[in-house]
Amino acid sequence: MKDIYILGIESSCDETSASIIRNGTDEIATVILSQIDIHTNFGGVVPEIASRHHVKNITMVIEDCLNKANMSMNEIDAIAVTYGPGLIGSLLVGLESAKTLSFIYNKPLIPVHHIAGHIYANNLVKTMKYPLIALVVSGGHTDLVYMEDEYKFKRLGGTLDDAVGECYDKVARVIGVGYPGGPVIDKMATLGSHTYNLPIPLDDNSYNFSFSGLKSAIINLVHNEEQRGNEINKEDLATSFQEVVVDIITKKTLKALKDFNVKNLVLAGGVAANKGLRDKLTLICEENDIDYTFPPIKYCTDNAAMIATAGYFLYKEGRFSDLQLNAKSSVELQ
Amino acid sequence: MKILYLDTSSSFLYCAIIKNDECIGEIKLKLEKDLSALALDEISNLFLVTSTKPDDIDKILVVNGPGSFTGIRVGLTIAKTFAWGLNKKISTLSSLDAMAISCKEDYDYFIPVIDARRGYVYSGIYDKDNNIVLKNQYISLEVLKATLDNLPGSYVFVTNDDIDGISPITKYDPDFVAIVQKFKDNEEINPHGIDALYLKLTEAEEKLNA
Repeated sequence: MKDIYILGIESSCDETSASIIRNGTDEIATVILSQIDIHTNFGGVVPEIASRHHVKNITMVIEDCLNKANMSMNEIDAIAVTYGPGLIGSLLVGLESAKTLSFIYNKPLIPVHHIAGHIYANNLVKTMKYPLIALVVSGGHTDLVYMEDEYKFKRLGGTLDDAVGECYDKVARVIGVGYPGGPVIDKMATLGSHTYNLPIPLDDNSYNFSFSGLKSAIINLVHNEEQRGNEINKEDLATSFQEVVVDIITKKTLKALKDFNVKNLVLAGGVAANKGLRDKLTLICEENDIDYTFPPIKYCTDNAAMIATAGYFLYKEGRFSDLQLNAKSSVELQ
Repeated sequence: MKILYLDTSSSFLYCAIIKNDECIGEIKLKLEKDLSALALDEISNLFLVTSTKPDDIDKILVVNGPGSFTGIRVGLTIAKTFAWGLNKKISTLSSLDAMAISCKEDYDYFIPVIDARRGYVYSGIYDKDNNIVLKNQYISLEVLKATLDNLPGSYVFVTNDDIDGISPITKYDPDFVAIVQKFKDNEEINPHGIDALYLKLTEAEEKLNA
C-alpha cells in the first residue's frame, strides 16, 4: 500500500508548529517554534502578541519542516490543520496558511480538533487499541473521553471551571515561582511532604472536575499565612496541592475505566508531562491490569506531529474540508 | 505578467488579478466577520472564473496594514504562503496608499482614514500627485483635524468607516488597475520576511512600556 504523508500545522496557542507524519505512526520531521520566552514577560499568553508572532513565523516553520524531512510539497498527500479550539487569532494563521497550501497545490485539507490531536500523540508511541479512555489534561482542558473506535469520541466529563494546567499556573503565581507553573510545581512536589490540609475538589460520582475551589483555598491559605507573618513552606504546599489534584484525577479516570469496562488508557495534553500524574497513573494501571500509554514530553505540549497523526485517520475516512473552513475558539470534540 | 492583488485589512475582501495593466477579474465584497472563513474560497473562485491557475501568477501585491489586526493577518498569511509555496515575487503596500490613489475627485489633498477606535484613526495625507504629505500613522482624530488647518488647499477624507466629525467624505472604492500600476514595483521581499504594518503596539506591550 502506498505510504501516506500528512503535513500537519498547529498554531492554536503560542507554538507555531509543522510536522510530517507517515501513515499516522512515523514521525518524519517536526518543527516547533515556541513563544514562551516572549509571553513570560507578561505572565501568560497574550493572544494578540501570539497571533503577530505566528504570522511572522508560519512559512519559515513549514519550510524548515520540509527541509528537515528532505521532502517537497509535491510529496505531501494532504494538509491537516488545527481549526479549534484555541485562541482565535492564533488559529487563523495556521488555518489560512493550510488553506492556501491546499489551494495552490490542490491537496486535500483536513480539519483536526486540537484535543483529538493531543489524544493521537499516543499513536506515535504505539498503535492505539480500542475501546480506550483518554485523559486530556492541559492549560485549557481537563477531559475524560471514551473512544469506542478510531476517531469516535464521546466526552464523559471535564472541568466545570479552571483547567488543571491553568490551576497549576495560578498556584505557581501565588507562591511566587513564575510561569509556566506546571513543571516547577511538579519538581517541587518531589521535595516536600503533604502537610497542608486542602479541600478535595468535586469528589462525586460524575466524570467532572472542579479546581477553582482548590485554587481559592490556596490563595486564601497563602494570604492568611502572610497576614500572620508565617512563612509558607513552598515545597510542602506544592506536594499537598499536587497530591490532591493527582488523587482526584486518577480516581475519576479509574472510575471511567471500570464503568466502561475498558482496559486501555491514554494520557494526553501538556499536563501529561507531569511526573506525579504519570507515576500515579502507572501505579493504578498496574494494579488494575490496564494498558497505559503516555506520550514523550515533546508530544505533550502543543505540536503539529499530533495534528498530522490525527489527520491521517480522517484522511483514511475521506473526511476533508473545503476552503470555507473557519477557526473556532471553542468546538465539541468530533 | 499577472499580478494578484489582495487586501483584507478591513471588513471588505478586495482582490483582483491584473494582467498587463488590465483587470481580468475582481472581488469587492463586504464580508465582515466571515472574512477569515470565506476569503480564500472567494479567491479560489476568482481564479476559476478567470481561468487562472495559481502558478500563472507572477507577482503578489498585498496590503499589510494598517486596519483590522485579524484582517491584516488573514491577507498576509494567504499572500506569503502563496508566494513562498510557488516561489513568486511579493511586495506590500499600505491600505492608506491604496485608498489615496483610488480617489479621483478634484481635491488638492486626500486623507484616507481608518477607524482605530477610542478617538483614534490610522491616517496619512497625500497630495493630488499622490506624494505623501503626512506619513501613515496611528493618530488622534483631533490632532489630525488640527493638522488640516495648515493645508494650503482643498481636501477630502476617504473612508468606508462611520467616523463622526469629518467632512467632506468620499467612499473608498478601490481602483485596482491604478493601485497595481502605482505600487507593482514596490520593493520585493522574501516571503518569510513579509510583516504587518500594524502602526500600533498591542495593549499588553503598551502597558509593559508605560
